[in-house]
Amino acid sequence: MALLQIAGLSKSYDNETKVLKDISFNVKAGEFVSIIGPSGAGKSTLLRCINRMVSISSGEVIFDNAQVTSMKKRALRQLRTNIGMVFQHYNLVPRLTVIENVLHGRFGYKSTLQGVLGRFTEAEKEQAFYLLRKLGIVEHAYKRCDQLSGGQQQRVGIARALIQDPKLVLCDEPIASLDPNSSKIIMDHLKSITSELGITCLVNLHQVEVAQQYSDRIIGLNHGEVVFDGLNYQLTEDKINRIYGTQVRELITV
Amino acid sequence: METTMKPTYIKRKRNGQISIKAGSKSERGIRWTIILFVVLTIAAFMFFDYTGLELWSAIIETGQNLKVMFFQPALNHFTWAEALYQVGVTLGLAVLATVIGSVIAFFLALMAATNLTKEWITKFVRVIVAFIRAVPTVLWVLIFAIAAGLGSEAAVLGMLFHSIAYLVKAFSEAFEEVDKGILEALKATGSGWWHVVTHGVLPSTFTYLLSWTFLRFEINFSVAVAMGAAAGAGGIGFELFMASGFYFDLREVGFITYAILLIAIILEVFSTRLKNRYFPSSMSK
Ligand SMILES: Nc1ncnc2c1ncn2[C@@H]1O[C@H](COP(=O)(O)OP(=O)(O)O)[C@@H](O)[C@H]1O
Ligand SMILES: [Mg+2]
Repeated sequence: MALLQIAGLSKSYDNETKVLKDISFNVKAGEFVSIIGPSGAGKSTLLRCINRMVSISSGEVIFDNAQVTSMKKRALRQLRTNIGMVFQHYNLVPRLTVIENVLHGRFGYKSTLQGVLGRFTEAEKEQAFYLLRKLGIVEHAYKRCDQLSGGQQQRVGIARALIQDPKLVLCDEPIASLDPNSSKIIMDHLKSITSELGITCLVNLHQVEVAQQYSDRIIGLNHGEVVFDGLNYQLTEDKINRIYGTQVRELITV
Repeated sequence: METTMKPTYIKRKRNGQISIKAGSKSERGIRWTIILFVVLTIAAFMFFDYTGLELWSAIIETGQNLKVMFFQPALNHFTWAEALYQVGVTLGLAVLATVIGSVIAFFLALMAATNLTKEWITKFVRVIVAFIRAVPTVLWVLIFAIAAGLGSEAAVLGMLFHSIAYLVKAFSEAFEEVDKGILEALKATGSGWWHVVTHGVLPSTFTYLLSWTFLRFEINFSVAVAMGAAAGAGGIGFELFMASGFYFDLREVGFITYAILLIAIILEVFSTRLKNRYFPSSMSK
């Protein structure tokens, strides 16, 4: 049984141009899937349809046997609690400490008052430190986030997603703002922790090599359409050209 | 390089030079507004009634009055202790209006920020607040005086009203500056609206809210001085009114002016210290 089923998904922001056109694929629990495609292909939009940060124009998204398309307030919060998200620009609250930012991932489980007062249980705090230790940034726990490097901030972002105890983690270009070294650290952590905890992972990437190296399966997106869906070794040179267009591809690899 | 750009994208001035201004309607609107203000200001000076005004002697006499005021300050009609008490009353009026005003403004500003609230609600709050702001504080005080009678109650209510309107605008603009990504990330964790506000918006804007509140406090202090005179709210402003308009005692006016100046300086130093101490980062940014 697939954890995530997407069938005939279409999305339009302005009711004129379709950003996503009739997208269908399933993701099994525990899979590590990369979505690649040129800028503007609709990768970010696709991820945001899954946790409903944007509305769905037509088609179905079914997550964990629940229909996502028509969800309203309460069910929507419940859905988002079960789906972690990691962003290109980390999106931490810069003036707060690392540990505070990590614990933000628990708000989905809190009542309004508990959350507003910042009441977190000892178990939650222990878990936060456990994750920080695993990600190798436990010594920065009480630093303000704006004092960390990009790679360290992204690890805080990952910890915030993981402390949600999610079934699925969505990563929107998690390494696009990082140098190669930090990128490798981030991808290694993502891969090892999600497979260890059995979390399904859906990652937007624009580096084909990284996608091939880390993922079980790759989905290629171009102009809002799925143009490739297969295991990583099936992604041959001419398939890559179909995703990116020939000339552009040459520019990237040089 | 070949010119791939279509010439229709380039905007040109009348003399054929390439324009780098967008040339939008709002830009033209701003320019005409400025021109209109300049013309009106010049015209206003021409329409003043100058009969009986001898400019030269007027300037000399004003200079003499200022000299008496500021070089020979003295207290004649009340004591030091009384002066201190009256300053305290004025400060009290300002504190009351500012503290209550900032708390109410905080909640209203959440409703007026387009990134936190539905658009029709923000529009509604904004229109009302703009209306309140457009009416001067003194007028609000006089309006409340109808119900409460002239005095400190009407003064505080009027100042409160205007403070709220002012701070709602300032606060909501600060809220709208919060990075979209922060709000998105918090919502994506399943956070509720209040969670996002208290743990995302508030920490990101707290220094701004505090400096706006302090700025408004400084404004409220001077308004409270004026209200003491105009609305009989008491405090140092009333004494100033008595000294100048009733006793014609220039020395006392001088003394009171110095007292007010002193308070203003103390407030300034205090607010700077407070900010440096609790928010050192906001200084370096
Ligand atoms: N909030 C939005 N409103 C309107 N159009 C948008 C919005 N977000 C994205 N788009 C449009 O949708 C298309 C796909 O964008 P996006 O999903 O960000 O692509 P990618 O992440 O693959 O670069 C682009 O043409 C972009 O202009
Ligand atoms: Mg994107």
